[in-house]
Amino acid sequence: MGMRELVEELNRRRTRLAELGGAEAVARQRAAGKLTVRERLARLFDADSFVEIGAHATHHADHPSMAGRETPADGVVTGFGRIDGRPVCTIAYDFTVMAGSMGRTGETKCSRVREMALTKRVPLVWLIDSAGARIQEAAGSGWFASSGYLFREEVILSGVVPLVAAMMGPGAAGTAYIPGLADFVPMVKGTSHMALGGPPLVKAVVGEDVSSEELGGSRVHTEVSGVADLEVPDDVACLQAVRDYLSYFPSSNLAPPPDGAADDPADRRDDGLLEVVPDSPRRAYDMHRIVERIVDHGRFFELKPSWARNLIVGLARMGGHSVGIVANQPLHLGGALDVNAADKAARFVTLCDAFNVPLLFLQDVPGFMVGTKVEREGIIRHGAKMLYAVAEATVPKVTVIVRKAYGAGYYVMCGRAYEPDLIVAWPTAEISVMGPEGAVNIIFRKQIGAAADPDGERRRLVEEFRRMIGPYVSAGHAHVDDVIDPRETRPTVIRALELARGKRIERPWKKHGVLPV
Amino acid sequence: MPEEVRAHITGVVFQVVAQAGSKVAAGDPILILESMKMEIPVEAPRAGVVRSIPVAEGQTVQEGDVVAVLE
Repeated sequence: MGMRELVEELNRRRTRLAELGGAEAVARQRAAGKLTVRERLARLFDADSFVEIGAHATHHADHPSMAGRETPADGVVTGFGRIDGRPVCTIAYDFTVMAGSMGRTGETKCSRVREMALTKRVPLVWLIDSAGARIQEAAGSGWFASSGYLFREEVILSGVVPLVAAMMGPGAAGTAYIPGLADFVPMVKGTSHMALGGPPLVKAVVGEDVSSEELGGSRVHTEVSGVADLEVPDDVACLQAVRDYLSYFPSSNLAPPPDGAADDPADRRDDGLLEVVPDSPRRAYDMHRIVERIVDHGRFFELKPSWARNLIVGLARMGGHSVGIVANQPLHLGGALDVNAADKAARFVTLCDAFNVPLLFLQDVPGFMVGTKVEREGIIRHGAKMLYAVAEATVPKVTVIVRKAYGAGYYVMCGRAYEPDLIVAWPTAEISVMGPEGAVNIIFRKQIGAAADPDGERRRLVEEFRRMIGPYVSAGHAHVDDVIDPRETRPTVIRALELARGKRIERPWKKHGVLPV
Repeated sequence: MPEEVRAHITGVVFQVVAQAGSKVAAGDPILILESMKMEIPVEAPRAGVVRSIPVAEGQTVQEGDVVAVLE
């Protein structure tokens, strides 16, 4: 055969690969409201930038049920492309080929891509739409005993390059720990699920009858378990969310995050900031109203918005610079920290610190929750994770005390002792080991009991105590750097972030700390 | 279908905002609890009509207690 005939044969093979798992399976994929794997990659990457590797891969299983079976690309499309001009690697499962199950050849491809991401220091994005391990190939101890390397390799990648696992279909068992180890996990509402064991296995092993949606749908993982970060309405929104997320991060931990356009004036003062915090220090308000007034163009990419709602975390830009925001939310549980809020903060702070993204803390925290329920849940252990993460973080840190800064809540929200590069207070700030009511009841218990009018005496003492915890007292001791007009928050934070750009902190050498997980 | 609204924190009922028969939108406060020295609203999880509020101001409620029923 001459070269032209050989190229024709190559083109015939490529045409066949473009048909994925066949017309019928593709029609089922579309009927389920899902894009095909190649349509997804076309949207994920910049136009015409995707380079595929392993397209001609196929299964080599000798199990009788696999005889004569075709598995185009062996059920997973792998390669690299560009997102906003920067290289990104991908592993995208194809549900039209044996339900996107993980075959041996497919996994060889995935391993190759993980190695590319690691050695070239570029982010890795999984698009997961897979029934899990291909039982026809994995059953029996022969191959299984050497498998599982995918998770070990993912752990090695963690904190070196950004890892995104987009749930765009099922992710069962073998594919469920991929999101478990990833940095960012969006889930498509209605079509995606994840569970260590799918409904048939659950039925067989523990006898429970449950649908995949109830077991591990997007609502479960974005509102109850906290495993996923974001529920998105469809595939298109999911792929856009992946692109948006990555825009805040560098390609690897060796680089600073890319700057966006500084096209929102750094000295913009928003009068609305004077109206957000109610006059009564006990009244709730929505912390989002402050966040959106101080970040560039009001754009805030919130993570886990429906889980542990008493704490807000997310990404934004200020003066064009990427910044991670950790803010208490008085609207839920009064902003008090519980086990899930502490986990949410610890994870987010670790994420930002790993990738050189500065942190902004907005404090209005009445403390950690107390009582039998949270003690039994291990609030000390969970709170310790947040302490650990905030203390360990060496990225630029800026703290704004909006209102309450009570107890250990003040510490973990990057109080003065946690190396903030700047810490400022609004005039409404209350900084204290505990709130006035609690403190007065403990310190003056006898005096109140002996008073002719105990309630009146308590009120008088509370007012007296409240004057001791205001911002000018701590500013007078030079323990907060300044008291600011709320409208000065944006310019102040941006200047502090610019000061801290060259921040270097060296810690003593250690292999690693002992995580209080 | 009636939906039970539960307290998400242990505390004292500070103020009952809605009443039986009130129309509420998702996110409207039905009542306000006092806990952690904060006034913490219990919001309607969805739009509907309040069927009953089985708690009174000053009463202590545990996390998970039913504090309102929507229909």
